[in-house]
Amino acid sequence: MSTRDLVLAALFAAIIVVLGLLPPIAIGFIPVPITAQSLGVMLAGVVLGAKRGTVAVLLVLLLVAIGLPVLSGGRGGLAAFAAPTSGFLIGWVFAAFVTGYLSERLISRSQTGLVQGAGFFLAALTGGVVVLYAFGITYLALITGLGFKQAFLGSLAFVPGDVLKAFVAALAGRAVMVGYPLLPQRA
Amino acid sequence: MDIRFEEASASFEGRVALHPLTLSLSERRIGVIGLNGSGKTTFARMINGLVKPSEGRVIVNGIDTAADAERVRAQVGFIFQNPQNQIILPILKEDIALGLKAQKLSKEAMDAAVAAILSRFGIPHLAERRAHELSGGELQLAALASVLVTRPPILILDEPTNQLDLKNRDLVERTIATLDEHVIVISHDLPLVADFDRVLLFDQGRLVADGTPGEVMARYRELAA
Amino acid sequence: MNTLYVEGNSLLHRLSARVKLLALALTGIALIFIISPFALAIAALAAGLLYASLRIGWRQSWLRLRPVFLTIFVVAVFAFFVSSAHEAATTLFRLTTLMLLAAAATATTTIGDFIDEITLAARPLERIGLVKAADIGLSVGLVIRFVPEVMTRYRAIREAHAARGLKPRPLTLAVPLIILTLKSADEIAAAIDARGIRGQN
Repeated sequence: MSTRDLVLAALFAAIIVVLGLLPPIAIGFIPVPITAQSLGVMLAGVVLGAKRGTVAVLLVLLLVAIGLPVLSGGRGGLAAFAAPTSGFLIGWVFAAFVTGYLSERLISRSQTGLVQGAGFFLAALTGGVVVLYAFGITYLALITGLGFKQAFLGSLAFVPGDVLKAFVAALAGRAVMVGYPLLPQRA
Repeated sequence: MDIRFEEASASFEGRVALHPLTLSLSERRIGVIGLNGSGKTTFARMINGLVKPSEGRVIVNGIDTAADAERVRAQVGFIFQNPQNQIILPILKEDIALGLKAQKLSKEAMDAAVAAILSRFGIPHLAERRAHELSGGELQLAALASVLVTRPPILILDEPTNQLDLKNRDLVERTIATLDEHVIVISHDLPLVADFDRVLLFDQGRLVADGTPGEVMARYRELAA
Repeated sequence: MNTLYVEGNSLLHRLSARVKLLALALTGIALIFIISPFALAIAALAAGLLYASLRIGWRQSWLRLRPVFLTIFVVAVFAFFVSSAHEAATTLFRLTTLMLLAAAATATTTIGDFIDEITLAARPLERIGLVKAADIGLSVGLVIRFVPEVMTRYRAIREAHAARGLKPRPLTLAVPLIILTLKSADEIAAAIDARGIRGQN
């Protein structure tokens, strides 16, 4: 990894930490307040791509593991990995990777803004919602013995907030690409 | 000090930042001036191998910067424009010790070297402080300490007084005057280089004047007018 | 940034980070195979006593453990209604045990010890060219170094919104925050390279 890539990943990890310090926002039609931190995970993928985005998220989890209270709500330490919802935390790594990988494949500079935005939304939705929930729900089902169906139903309340975040991530991904393009493009 | 540019040029993505330049530098205090985008920062970055010549060669104390950037960097310390981005670990003394890691010193020797460089710049009281709490002047001194702790014989400073208030600017000027190292200062702050041994003026990627501060600054004023 | 480490000289403080991490991992695996709520309750009690022996204090402990404990509790209540009391009890005690042990390891291990241990664990990965072990400590330091700078930048962007009478929105906050922050990467990377901190490149 080049020094620049390393620094970009570390700076993005710092951004994800700062997003976790911001108070959660309540939005009318969504049943649970939403935090900006998991938005940061999708943003890491859409802005930095698969490799650097994954490293950024790994760095945040590393900070958590070594005892820094950097998760939203001041959570941190190894205990954060002992919650029934820790699958969502571990899933962040794969969410950032898939979001980044799809962004690299789907988006190219020659596309129109609308196509790019749709590509970013699809990438963030697949990585940040489908993949993330696959990890989170599987872990929840196995660790608690709730079973998949109940674990799925129990997690549903959070889906609208995360779809909304995928939408924000898509718009932000496009805006950053216009202002300061960093995403490696393979398409 | 012996820095030689042999027909060295630099281009980025087809745009020429520095036209082929042949020049040799050995004075103790050298100023580099020019308008924004004149190529002076590229010139400075070529001296420590951060920018490698697209054509030609740059030789620093007998070492080719393209062949062995690591050895060149041991010879040439570099202070960047924004000291904020120069301190990379949270606690100042940890940051300064970082540059020494490659030398595989004992813990005692490392602590002693860190303490020595902090007192050299009059900032031993900042050792345990967090980088983001330091003022602009303190950060600039800290950046000097972090770079000079590995004892490079040559030091390049890119706009060292750019973001400082008058008091801190004077502090940095006085500090530069006391340095034993060979110093190359890139600056818009003309008084800073007014008593230097030699001043270079760049314009549109070319060296357009080279001589005593008086002559070169007169030329710079014509150019800017 | 404050850490969750607590100064002290207990047995746990003196144990090496490696022993604590291995013990934690093994206990975690063992707990999955214990299905008797009674045995798990005893395990939770033992973990609670171990945690209490660190003398962190009720208030501080509650602050630290509350967020994780609440999720465990909510899921246990959910399990009680949709599944069975047996399921609810095993979940509650199993995860509470794990949480207490993990929190105890965190409270008794310094960041430096953790990083040394992780760096050591990364050596084999370095040999196959996957990572540079020394980069781990450097990157962790970089993140901690730049969190306050990013926070300062975030406040400045909010103020800029207020000064122009704009309502802060996630998008108009996040985009300038990302661009301004990442733009400093070039200079930070150049500073690292110029100081020869990562060796050859």
